[in-house]
Amino acid sequence: MAGVVHRPRLGVVKFASCDGCQLTLLDLEDQLLDVAERFEIVEFAEATSRRSKGPFDILLVEGSISTPEQAEEIVRLRREATLLVTIGACATAGGIQALRNLADHDAFRRAVYPRPGLIESLPRSTPVSEYVAVDAELYGCPISGAQLLELLTALTVGRRPQLPDEAVCLECKRRGAVCVLVAGAQSCLGPVTRTGCGALCPVFGRGCYGCFGPREAANSESLAAWFAGDGASDKEIRGLFAQFNVNAPAFRRIVEAGRDGEGSVR
Amino acid sequence: MVAGAWFLPRAELDRLVQSLRAGGREVIAPTVGEGAIVLSGVETADELPHGWGVEVAPGRATLVKRAAERVFDQPPGPTSWKRWTFPPRVDQIEWIGANGERLPQPVAAQPKPMAFLGVRACEIAALAVQDRVLAAGPVVDADYVARRKDNLIVAVECAVAGETCFCSTMGTGPEVTGGFDVALSELDDGFLIRVGSTAGSALVDGLGLAPVSDVQQAAARRAMAALRDQLGPPPPTDGLPERLVAAVDSPRWAEIAQRCLACANCTLVCPTCFCTSVGQRSELDGQGATSERRWDSCFTLDFARVAGGNFRTRVEDRYRQWLTHKFGTWWSQFGTSGCVGCGRCITWCPVGIDVRAEIMAVAGLPAPEAVPPVAPVVSVASAASVESVALAPGERVMPWASARVVSKTSETADVVTLRLATDDPGLLAGQPGQFVMAALPALAAPPVSVSRFHPDGLELTVRAAGAATRAICNLERGATVGLRGPVGRGWPVDLAEGRDVLIVTGGIGLAPLRPLIDELLRRRDRSARLHLAYGARTPGDRLYKAELDRLAAGGEIEISQTVDRAGPEWLGRVGVVTQVIDRAFCSCDRTIAFICGPERMMEATVKVLHERGVPDERVFATLERHMDCGVGLCGHCQLGRFFVCKDGPVFSLAELGPAFGREGL
Repeated sequence: MAGVVHRPRLGVVKFASCDGCQLTLLDLEDQLLDVAERFEIVEFAEATSRRSKGPFDILLVEGSISTPEQAEEIVRLRREATLLVTIGACATAGGIQALRNLADHDAFRRAVYPRPGLIESLPRSTPVSEYVAVDAELYGCPISGAQLLELLTALTVGRRPQLPDEAVCLECKRRGAVCVLVAGAQSCLGPVTRTGCGALCPVFGRGCYGCFGPREAANSESLAAWFAGDGASDKEIRGLFAQFNVNAPAFRRIVEAGRDGEGSVR
Repeated sequence: MVAGAWFLPRAELDRLVQSLRAGGREVIAPTVGEGAIVLSGVETADELPHGWGVEVAPGRATLVKRAAERVFDQPPGPTSWKRWTFPPRVDQIEWIGANGERLPQPVAAQPKPMAFLGVRACEIAALAVQDRVLAAGPVVDADYVARRKDNLIVAVECAVAGETCFCSTMGTGPEVTGGFDVALSELDDGFLIRVGSTAGSALVDGLGLAPVSDVQQAAARRAMAALRDQLGPPPPTDGLPERLVAAVDSPRWAEIAQRCLACANCTLVCPTCFCTSVGQRSELDGQGATSERRWDSCFTLDFARVAGGNFRTRVEDRYRQWLTHKFGTWWSQFGTSGCVGCGRCITWCPVGIDVRAEIMAVAGLPAPEAVPPVAPVVSVASAASVESVALAPGERVMPWASARVVSKTSETADVVTLRLATDDPGLLAGQPGQFVMAALPALAAPPVSVSRFHPDGLELTVRAAGAATRAICNLERGATVGLRGPVGRGWPVDLAEGRDVLIVTGGIGLAPLRPLIDELLRRRDRSARLHLAYGARTPGDRLYKAELDRLAAGGEIEISQTVDRAGPEWLGRVGVVTQVIDRAFCSCDRTIAFICGPERMMEATVKVLHERGVPDERVFATLERHMDCGVGLCGHCQLGRFFVCKDGPVFSLAELGPAFGREGL
């Protein structure tokens, strides 16, 4: 492309995850050609057979760290990346697979696999940030295409990406959706969940699943107490918080508070 | 028959809707949607909520179908009229022109004419409150004025109150007493119509209605009397605004924070909350860029964030800001309560926090004896206090202008001074201590102090603290930058006459003081001693080094400099700036002090000045806060009753009182 001296080298890699987040990049259909023009995509297994081990100007990392090999590989990749951005609930919080963090990992291994000795996995599924420094995080299961585009745009323009850590409720109200918690008596995690999805579920009349994880100052205890007062059982409340971001501290507190009949989420 | 009132049979309600639509007007009215009564555009009267009611309680709203086919028997729903007068997202500035030559262009609202059908007494009061905030000056919100000015208001007298309603205690209802074009009272067989304006009169004339009968009038009166009974007498609320503001250390704040989710729902459903942030939309090609104003809330963490810090990190601080502003400092700022008693913040709080109970607990007032179906609480407003104010004319909109970089001086490793040229008369009419908002495409527009005024331009001294300030620092000669200002209240130079002047500052804090020093030197014969005490982290972190040396040699001003860490080249003093003051000024009975720097430095300085006996009335500090507009409209920079941007940024300590140096305000 004439006039451009250096296109930033963009890489997309994954660890323990479903690939849904990196597909969000491919789903940016209207902007994909612009992205490919602005960035030199050097590693993106879902999109190209061209491969690279680095270096990267920007590396998007999907997935949680779940095996010993992954724990080594992420350290190597960190050295190759100028900006390392984790994408999605797995990479930022440990993902749905972090449910095992609350249970006996060995028992799972023996129950599921005929020859458990062949399975090498870590007892905990953890976010990338437990192993290496992370420059930015995109949350969600999956991430939002708009936020991914905002990140890439901000990097080209040279500003801080606008990724607010306020509650989903603000976007719900801006969009004029009726609160499903107040009007529908639904157990909605919106008030304690980070915005970014555009209030996707509440706009369609469904309570928030919390897939973007806890926002800053998430007062999960107060919300859980309200659900309990509304008649939800401890099990139901734990189930709400034990989803894609179960390993995020503000959600995990609730899940652990009511386990094994010890204590109550209230 | 009753003079001045007409009767519209129930079956003919659509005639009213159609006459409102005449001339292309959009009619906004209550409708049934998603489990609640929401305001929405309607084309016929069939879309109104015939026979629907809503049961409300703290944290709960339930739509119920009623036997009677009445239309307006609901308390206010989650939507308020501000969605149309003050929309959640509005484009503010577009950048036009090519690279390096791009100018900020305000986006003008082009609203369709609108009729609001079904406006309650509390909501008329809310519109009047926002008129005062956004359209009464000194600077008006042009977008708001454009959307608000030609609204046709069709009010409705409430016939039922929700459990969370408390209009009668806020003095805004239940009766509709003004601020409407036409007012409806719903009777079983139709609507009694009153006229409140010329436009309303024309509308009613066009309908050709029969005058209302004495029986119909009496029925309307009986309904209102019954509603008054339901609302009950207001509880005692003596001195409530003052009590709330004084309760800054109440243990209740921390207790509320245990329950409060800081989710911001209360502020976004509130019909008077007006705080916004400015966000950027830009294209991947770096060319197209628009800045957008969005509803924000004092409950978000980013709301009070500045480069390198945050003034309200704790949820209890955020809740206190909201409550004391809404019921307390709003009075000082706008001459009215910020609350109209509509009850939305109670109904739509996801965990049912009842602001009526919290106010009473914080203010130490007795709670209402028994909780009736409607729990009235606070009476701090009289109806007269929220009468609609005249919308200010458009010329008080603070415009964006531009200036060109003519030279650039590197001051320290991360600070530059830009000399800007402009022929915009507004930009050239600044005072020492004022600041500008400085905008570049696709970036936030931060406040920047003016560090020198020239007849043909001004200087900005900027530290690269974030992306926007870094981009400003990187501007080269010939580039343009968008500016709004100069704004704010600057240094009271005249008060320095005949006094010893002590200027204490640290690091980049010298920048807003430089125009003051310029002015004091210009009128050197009018003050006694001039002393500048300047501290910096290292010798290399000092601004205007050559200029300071020149001034010191000239002898018109004494300059004491000190650094935290010296290098081999530094032969001056090492230590904190307060040590310099100590030696410089021993007798302070005729001293006036001007200070600027990090809050810690200013607090230490003030402590020394207090010990030396300098009265608070003669100590002036310039404060830093998050600002998105610079003209008192975005709400971010509030400190107690002040908007730092328009009431400051320069304040005397006497004005600030205990707010100075107090964390969390």
